[in-house]
Amino acid sequence: MTETAMWGMEGARLLYEHRGERARELAKQGREVIGYFCAYTPVEFLTALDLVPYRIHGGVGRPLEKVDEYLETIVCPYVRSAFDMALRGEYNFLSGVVIPHTCDAMHRLYDIWMYYIKPGYGHSITVPHMTHKASFEYFRNELATFRRSLERYAGRPIDNGRLREAIREHNRCRRLVRELYDLRKSQPPALSGTEAMWVLLNGTTIPVGEYNDLLESVIEEVRRRKPEPDDKPRLMFVGSEVDDASVIHHIEDCEANVVMDDLCTGSRHFWVDVDETKEPVEALAERYLGGRTCPCTYRSGIASERFGYLGEYARDWDIDGVLVYAIRFCDTYQLDAPEIQDYMQELKLPVLYLEDDYVKPALGQWRTRVEAFLETIEARKE
Amino acid sequence: MTQQTGEKTSSRKFTESAGKIRTVVKRMYKQAQQAKEENRPIAYCMVMCNYEEILAAMDIVQVYTENYAGLCAVKRQAAVYMDKARAEGYSELLCGYAQVGIGFDAMRYELGEMPPDAPDGGMPEPDMLLGCSMGCDPRWKWYQALGRYKNTPIYNMDLLMPQSDANIDEIEEYSVRYMAEELRGLIAFLEEQTGGKMDYDRLMAIVRQVEETRWWWREAYELRKAIPCPMTTQDHFVLFVPHHMMLTDEFTLEFYKGLYDELKERVDNGIGAIDDEKYRLLWGVGIPPWHSMYILDYFLNFGAVFAAETAYMVPEPYDIPDRVDDPVEMIARRMFVRNSSLQRRGRAAGNVPALAMAHLERIEDFSLDGVVMHVTRSCRASTMGQIMVRNVIRDRYPNMPVMFLESDIVDVDTFSDTEAKNRIDTFMEMVEARKGSTK
Repeated sequence: MTETAMWGMEGARLLYEHRGERARELAKQGREVIGYFCAYTPVEFLTALDLVPYRIHGGVGRPLEKVDEYLETIVCPYVRSAFDMALRGEYNFLSGVVIPHTCDAMHRLYDIWMYYIKPGYGHSITVPHMTHKASFEYFRNELATFRRSLERYAGRPIDNGRLREAIREHNRCRRLVRELYDLRKSQPPALSGTEAMWVLLNGTTIPVGEYNDLLESVIEEVRRRKPEPDDKPRLMFVGSEVDDASVIHHIEDCEANVVMDDLCTGSRHFWVDVDETKEPVEALAERYLGGRTCPCTYRSGIASERFGYLGEYARDWDIDGVLVYAIRFCDTYQLDAPEIQDYMQELKLPVLYLEDDYVKPALGQWRTRVEAFLETIEARKE
Repeated sequence: MTQQTGEKTSSRKFTESAGKIRTVVKRMYKQAQQAKEENRPIAYCMVMCNYEEILAAMDIVQVYTENYAGLCAVKRQAAVYMDKARAEGYSELLCGYAQVGIGFDAMRYELGEMPPDAPDGGMPEPDMLLGCSMGCDPRWKWYQALGRYKNTPIYNMDLLMPQSDANIDEIEEYSVRYMAEELRGLIAFLEEQTGGKMDYDRLMAIVRQVEETRWWWREAYELRKAIPCPMTTQDHFVLFVPHHMMLTDEFTLEFYKGLYDELKERVDNGIGAIDDEKYRLLWGVGIPPWHSMYILDYFLNFGAVFAAETAYMVPEPYDIPDRVDDPVEMIARRMFVRNSSLQRRGRAAGNVPALAMAHLERIEDFSLDGVVMHVTRSCRASTMGQIMVRNVIRDRYPNMPVMFLESDIVDVDTFSDTEAKNRIDTFMEMVEARKGSTK
């Protein structure tokens, strides 16, 4: 896997197909790999300590084997799937885990993970749901506590210079990802939504330096492409957690191009930079709390104020239709989804709502609905 | 089971105090409706947000929306509102309380008037919506969804629940500071909405009265350690109402004093909820099935009483420090101390998760023989972690019977009378066997 230094899109695909392998390899070599959930975990602290951040994924379509004995059936299926993998030992290469309190499922999962899995290191960051002035001050303190907790675990301090360097590396990564997204603006897009997912999902499972190399090689390759013209509808995929390219592939297989997303594993994870001119912890607090569009952060205002960024995406990526995707049992997303749909309709954009089981996605049923949706879009175009 | 109105869904009550609650609830909604007619400011609220004293000091009339959903379930009138919410695009898996509340307001918006036959006359139209983050996500998300039906100002605030293994001393000061700022933000919001000014002396006096009220409720609750137990959870699940929804009323203080006197007399005279108490149970984490509370009476057939709960718990003791003269800081500090006390004790007990710690303490303190938890389909926050709690209990008490009752907080269609009774039969056999073997 070290030789995936071939990179490019084929390298990205291989890395995606063997997710976790590179991190396991690093763990074998003595590097400490720390698993984390959510786009709210400030991975810069881990990078600054030379720990490898690894975003914990579930397994779309993979039958659950052990989790029913440990976790209730009526909770977030993504969480159940990820925890099932941990119970099966698939995350044994992790030295520790960081689970931010972002939603009810994450809050409870932390205790459950610590009780059963007993990792060498565990920490939960309380992420404010509000974005009042005091919320940022609190979050800055909470990140300072996280920093001290990591320092105690690692037995060495996080040097501010090294932290700034980590911020720069991750900002570079964000800029490269946005550059890649720009290549999806053309018609047809220079890369498919499925390919984008291969690249994006890799990014949170390998050290940021390696990921930046991968991104550069992919961008270089994609820039050289001369795609055949097509007039497939251009879709935006809006939802919470999608950590499997097959979800996007099934949509594109219905003769559509998924060219933009608002996912916590997609644009949301990479969109906003950390201000490199500010004191690092303060800048991280501002970026991770202020730059989020996840429904687990309360943002005041009417729909056009809260979801206006989706309108901007739709304009800039020339979107023909929007898929709103919610994982079952996700209260935060289910409470926002109708308003997102209202707003998209206000923008005269056709919208399709998909509620998913994650573990057993109803792909056949999806296909029928997506095909009907695409017909609607075609009819409007005509 | 289909949802029908008019069926008896409630459970037996064993105290005179509990018998008064239905009248109290009716009066509470009537007073809120009257306040609306008098143009007094009305707020939609969530229980246990620690803003009750502040609202009372600003003369805001409090209407508790979660509990209105519970009332609709008790009266088997929740389905019509849930159906409306689903028709509005909300998932059938969304929090049941939120489904009922959103459906109710969507219906009122559509009709332009109070939905017909709304239980107890319905919730009056609010002038403000006040959410908070403690407990679960819908408690700060639900009111924003109401923006589709009303343009009512919202103030949401964070209340912190530290993780089980948090270093409490390390996070205490900045956590208290944050919550105090959130409360100050609320006061500024209320002043802006009402044009009034907070009277901090009045607020402090209300805070002191509330702590006295809680002292009496706690003292009354402690009397349930007696064998036989003077009242059961059937009573508890209505007796919490004055505390949770009328906390600052003089009536509430007198109510819990009365409850204490009533239970004390029963304990002094050896009077139990039932004549032949054989088994003492814990109602563990999980909001009860409001639509079918009668099922709790089925345990009585076995001589089993619920002597304690970990749902709608009495707040932990808190001594008001002499030197604190800022009531806002005091409320924030009190909140933090209470929200972190189980964490502190859990860590001291060998890193027992806070949720499980509450159960272990009750089992020990109330001499319990078994635990029942309610798996509620639409309430993840009160359900997730139940299996872990059972396992922690069994780490400490290897043969302790633990039962999971499955349905929902409001949706009666999730409930099967036959299945529930079959499970209870099996569970009680285990309780009997364990008790027999430990005699």
